[in-house]
Amino acid sequence: MSIALSRSRALAFSLPALIAILPFLGACFYIFRFSISGDKGTIDGYSIQPYLDLMTPFFGRSVWLTLKLAFVATLVAMLLAVPLAFLLTSLRSPLARRCLTVTILLPLILNLLVQAYGWILLLGPSGVLNSSLRSLGIIDRPIFLLFNETGVLLGLIQTSLPLAVFPIVSSVRGLSQEHLEAASSLGASQWRTFFDVTVPLLRPGLFGAASIVFAFNASAFAIPLLLGGRRVQMMGVAIRDMISPLFNWSGAAAAGMILIFITLIVLLFSSWLVRMTSENVRH
Amino acid sequence: MSTQNTHLHIDGVSKNFGDVKALSNIDLKIERGSFVCLLGPSGCGKTTLLRIIAGFESASSGRLLLDGSDIAQVPPHKRGFGMVFQSLALFPHMSVARNIAYGLKLRGVSGKEQRDRVEELLNVIQLPSIADRPVSALSGGQRQRVAIARALAIQPKLFLLDEPLSALDAKLRDNMQIELRQLQQKFGVTTILVTHDQHEAMMLADELVVLKDGAVRQSAAPSVVYQQPADSFVADFLGAANLINVGSVQGGQVQLLGKLTAVDTAHADNTMMQAAVRAEHISLAPVAQAGGAAVGTIEFMRDLGPSTEIVVAVDGESLRVRSPNVDCQGLSIGTQVAVSVDPSQVSVFKA
Amino acid sequence: MRVGLLPNEGGGSYRFVIIALAIVGILISSLPVIVVTIMSFSAADNTGFPPEALSLRWYWDVIALFTADDASSAQSVVDSTLTSLLVAVIVMGISTFVCIPLAYALARGDRRIRGGMELLFTLPLVFPLVILGIAFLLIAESLRVDIGIWRIVIPHVALVLPFVLRNCLGAMNGISVEIEEAAVSLGASPLRAIWDVVIPLMKAGILAGLIFALIISFNEFTITFFMYTIDVSTLPIWMYSRTVSSLDPSTLALSVFIIVADVVLIVLVDKLIAGRASLF
Repeated sequence: MSIALSRSRALAFSLPALIAILPFLGACFYIFRFSISGDKGTIDGYSIQPYLDLMTPFFGRSVWLTLKLAFVATLVAMLLAVPLAFLLTSLRSPLARRCLTVTILLPLILNLLVQAYGWILLLGPSGVLNSSLRSLGIIDRPIFLLFNETGVLLGLIQTSLPLAVFPIVSSVRGLSQEHLEAASSLGASQWRTFFDVTVPLLRPGLFGAASIVFAFNASAFAIPLLLGGRRVQMMGVAIRDMISPLFNWSGAAAAGMILIFITLIVLLFSSWLVRMTSENVRH
Repeated sequence: MSTQNTHLHIDGVSKNFGDVKALSNIDLKIERGSFVCLLGPSGCGKTTLLRIIAGFESASSGRLLLDGSDIAQVPPHKRGFGMVFQSLALFPHMSVARNIAYGLKLRGVSGKEQRDRVEELLNVIQLPSIADRPVSALSGGQRQRVAIARALAIQPKLFLLDEPLSALDAKLRDNMQIELRQLQQKFGVTTILVTHDQHEAMMLADELVVLKDGAVRQSAAPSVVYQQPADSFVADFLGAANLINVGSVQGGQVQLLGKLTAVDTAHADNTMMQAAVRAEHISLAPVAQAGGAAVGTIEFMRDLGPSTEIVVAVDGESLRVRSPNVDCQGLSIGTQVAVSVDPSQVSVFKA
Repeated sequence: MRVGLLPNEGGGSYRFVIIALAIVGILISSLPVIVVTIMSFSAADNTGFPPEALSLRWYWDVIALFTADDASSAQSVVDSTLTSLLVAVIVMGISTFVCIPLAYALARGDRRIRGGMELLFTLPLVFPLVILGIAFLLIAESLRVDIGIWRIVIPHVALVLPFVLRNCLGAMNGISVEIEEAAVSLGASPLRAIWDVVIPLMKAGILAGLIFALIISFNEFTITFFMYTIDVSTLPIWMYSRTVSSLDPSTLALSVFIIVADVVLIVLVDKLIAGRASLF
């Protein structure tokens, strides 16, 4: 029994990490406290005024835009991530697998500015796309893809794709080849197998990945800031604007709480969906 | 075997994975309604052959003729072969009934017919009351039966099984073997089963195909394979056979345990030969009754209940002997005994 | 194989659609980086495409930027780069140091506690960065003392904890209790057994976590965007302030240096965990 982890030792081992995450928890609490402050600039008294002040058409549009862009970006990212996960797991050559892993993972990790530069060079008025289309004679005047929703959407899809691919890869690894072959031997075509067997078996992983991607996209800041300019006021950017020109700290905190609330709802809803749909699934 | 009765003709099938030759030039004719076991050690190509038949792999060369027509280009989901997988591959997100009905649903069978057929099959596998259970709630043996029922539900042209019983414990496996054989006869479906377990193969097969290194070593009825193994590998793989070096052929005969034994005339003089003799076909006698038979010394004895396992050292070889307990009175380790074999139970082949 | 998630023969329209979507995914992932790399070799002063001629002039510019004698202003690129590196190394050290014992405690301890703790340490991954940035800014501003680079280090540690912990937990997965018991049976104290047997076996996962922490901290933009001051600023912030009005090609050359460093480090991580654990 000398090996068994005693309660006190387990606590001692966990303590450093708990201390390291304490500032994060403090920050969460601080934001909450500020959002019910009676004063715009400091924590003073209690009031729900910051929340009431947010009931404006402007903020409503921002919430709607955030939900819309995050939803579309998540949908597209999932649509691309599933095939990428299949490709990644069926590659035989380790070199090819490594190249693909780096290609997919890089956008999550790489300095967001560098990627924003890339999109600006691609989509800008004299960028790759416009130059190519113009030289092909398809368009006369440059089409504007930057500093509007299209640009932001592309940026969101790109940066959130890895968050979708890698969890799906883990679920795909747990999928047995024999399940697919069993469906086939019973007469299911590739597409039927995909919808009748592959998707239902991957469902928990798919919902998990989609909810993380959605949370990530809904709280995006750098991408809408760099690719959307002032015109695409996703909540992240709107919250920043409350502080930077307006010094409305309590309002920003309240907006932040709403954003957290939205992501929380999505995460809870998806984990509920997973539980509902996978009642019978035991691998 | 008449040609009309050939259901599946595997005609010169080879399979290469890159540089690795998994199967080389397999020729087999499988009779309608027969139960064929593909037997061999792991890596012998038996599973690859089954997967080629099922259509999950394509052959590098050769033809697969089902009732005379080539099915190489038919994708697996259009072949209509029921298959039971090693992991069983029951769909965990479907109930037992939905698993069994899945193939029928794909064939556009009406809901009522599906239910009737599921009920009928559940009765056949003697599990009438589990239709609505999730697969995860079943025991190993129940899963086994459901997997078989699912494959049989589509009234398969061929019934393919890939080591389906290997996950079961020994006692359950014995029972399932009997059940499987009865089911196969009831449905009359041509069946191919892959296994590495020679007892299972002997128990089930009408025809036993022994594979090694991607080639067929012997294909015959189980009793023939057991009694007259084609070579030393088959003899060894099918259970406790003693392989004895018997020197070279001289005048169509070899020396086996001090007795001259005739060999197949196809073997020229001076060919080095081996003989396979099963433990139960060796008899021991007091030295006084040797009469020209070889004499050996008992090295090891163990009472196994119905019989006794004895190891006898003769001419530098250790032979395993199994004899009924009554014949073993007065024998002990170190005793000298005369060793003889029944020539009709000996197979002799090229070393 | 003719049947599979991605059959390598046959498969018809299914195979075609899967491969086409995967290619679109690869393009979206990689095009921005590819374009940045191509344009950094342009000889022109603007960023029009395609580049009329190729040159290394922007790379020389970057090198000049780093080696110029008058790099004395507090905002200089050298200072920012050094701060970035210093922050990344400290973050790496702290996060790894706290995650190894935690991973051990979670892997060996009570299963129910493990679930809750894993959830707690995944939170920073889904928590909106803007809000985290604002919250940390508010806290830092309300402190009376100047905490120097720690105003960036502390939030970064919270941010990388999920990644480092995942890697350490993944490394613990394959290590059975029996191997520790073997060490103890040979006379090692339980702590000694951890040090002698468990830590060496966790090495690959620990290293992967270290590198992850390093690259995430070095590339982090959003939180730092709120936390930076005139004295404490990082390379991404320097790049932002330089390009906020227009994009100049020397920044692209600098970006290529960062891309190359990131790719090398990711390949290293991938080698270290080699399919044994998921990346996150």
